[in-house]
Amino acid sequence: MVNLLALIRNETTKVWKKKRFAVVVLILLILIPIFVYAQMKIAQNSADKFNEDWRSELQSRITDNTNALSSNRIPEEWKQWRKALVQQLQYYLDHDINPQTPNAVTFTRTFMDNAVSLFIPLMVLAIASDLVSSERSTGTIKMLLTRPVRRWRILFSKLATLTLYVSLILVVTVLLCYAISGLVFGYAGWGEPVFVGFHIRGADVDTANVHAITQGVYLLMQSGLIWFSAMVVAIIALMVSVLVRSTAASFVTMMATIIAGTILANMASSWKSAKYLFNVNLELSGYLRGTPPPIEGMSLGFSLAVLGIWAAAALIVSFTVFTKQDILN
Amino acid sequence: MRSSSWLWKVVGLTSLVCLLVMLLGFGWALKDTWMPKEGLALPEASAPEKASAGDISSKKELYVTALGDSLTKGTGDSTGEGYVSRAIDGLSKRMDKPVYLVNNMAISGLRADQLVAKLDEKGFVNAIAKADIVLLTIGGNDLFQVAQNGGSLVEGGDLSPEAMKERLPEVETRLKEVLAKIRKTNPNARIVYVGLYNAFFDLQDMRETVSDTVAEWNAFAYRLALADGNAKVIPTYDLFEFDLKKYLSSDHFHPNAQGYERISDRIVEALQ
Repeated sequence: MVNLLALIRNETTKVWKKKRFAVVVLILLILIPIFVYAQMKIAQNSADKFNEDWRSELQSRITDNTNALSSNRIPEEWKQWRKALVQQLQYYLDHDINPQTPNAVTFTRTFMDNAVSLFIPLMVLAIASDLVSSERSTGTIKMLLTRPVRRWRILFSKLATLTLYVSLILVVTVLLCYAISGLVFGYAGWGEPVFVGFHIRGADVDTANVHAITQGVYLLMQSGLIWFSAMVVAIIALMVSVLVRSTAASFVTMMATIIAGTILANMASSWKSAKYLFNVNLELSGYLRGTPPPIEGMSLGFSLAVLGIWAAAALIVSFTVFTKQDILN
Repeated sequence: MRSSSWLWKVVGLTSLVCLLVMLLGFGWALKDTWMPKEGLALPEASAPEKASAGDISSKKELYVTALGDSLTKGTGDSTGEGYVSRAIDGLSKRMDKPVYLVNNMAISGLRADQLVAKLDEKGFVNAIAKADIVLLTIGGNDLFQVAQNGGSLVEGGDLSPEAMKERLPEVETRLKEVLAKIRKTNPNARIVYVGLYNAFFDLQDMRETVSDTVAEWNAFAYRLALADGNAKVIPTYDLFEFDLKKYLSSDHFHPNAQGYERISDRIVEALQ
């Protein structure tokens, strides 16, 4: 046990000293202000248009989406998405709740929703992709494996380190987002109500289970779900990193898979079996928000199961290969 | 080695706490999705704004709400403005005070019976209650809807003037309901109903029958406006008759930019 802890400690400090985490923070520090600025411009624009009357703005969104429904050129699945959106917005309006109060917490939760499919995986990959393959390319793997430590312990310590860093990345992203956007939008907003529990049935939204929670709780639950999908990405990246020799190759492989997932999610509604791929299931926070899933028949339970099976399979492959494979050069 | 031990303690502990927080959030999300509890009580929202009583000319600023069908939406106008924003700009210039659009809630293809249902929605109630002026076009889709396939003319159906005439009484009651509901929501607003025109004036066999029905419809709307006391009907039938090509857009049904300009001019004239 002491042995394992020492290994994890070794791995954690190694990742830190390689400045992997510093790169992640740097990316966040550059990107978040850009998004905050863009959001500020949008907010100013709509404040001018609607005289800061959020009810008008909300009704305008409802009208716009209703109008788009009558167009023949819009694909059927987009129409369903819009129909569901209209019903949700109508629910907010009927209950006199502003779904987009301008504050740092709202910004953070919107940012996290948009980050789940590409941005968060990218940052996870910055750490996960070279965890094993870099040991290979620099040759330190031989040093590591000639130690009197069983191989599965080495890989396990890498996995534990990865878990720690993924959690750290998510929390730091949320905190930085909140801290930076608060400068512009103000730091209030933790207690604002958000509705959760919309159930999408085809084009209809079932509001029987809808209940209000505070935005702070919403942010916590949302981060938890995003953490799960980030962990799955990390575990699969670890497997690729075990299988592929070079860091660049393992990074590109994973990135291509993730990007393919976002594209598929946008157009795969006619290819039903695509829902068993892990990369179309990553947007877990969408279930909380109540947006229609990319492919009909997907639910939170379904996506968790698919992601879980993929992660378990990736773990089995990684451990088998890592403990059995010969290191040749 | 000292610094690395310190580093491990800080990074290790912090990330462990982060892990626990994330696990908590994940578990909470699952619990909330599968075993939802009573949500928190909703806070009292600030009441939506209401228009004050008083005359249009005496108010410092005016709020306009627009509702209805594709005409109000501005379909066919290549500039995308429609008559609503033009009328607002015009009013603001003529009356020399700020005129704001609360919302343009027009939906393409909307029929009067659908509008009657929509008028109960909270968004519509809010926007109408806030308005000093309500701009409205409705009834065109009810009347011009084609008997056989139910689609609108723009979609390429044949119009039967006889069926249109038959439908008139039914649609008239719908218009009455629409106006009554708007009036009930906002007792003080000036309601401006933009009348219908005959988009088929250039078709010899349609000219008389359709124009006849349109005239009857507009007369009915005018009687309703008179009875209301604070409503106006803006005639448009004479604007297009001999210049259909010039003022209608390429779908031969909706006005083009110039056509909307003429409608908005009339609204400004009538309101100032």
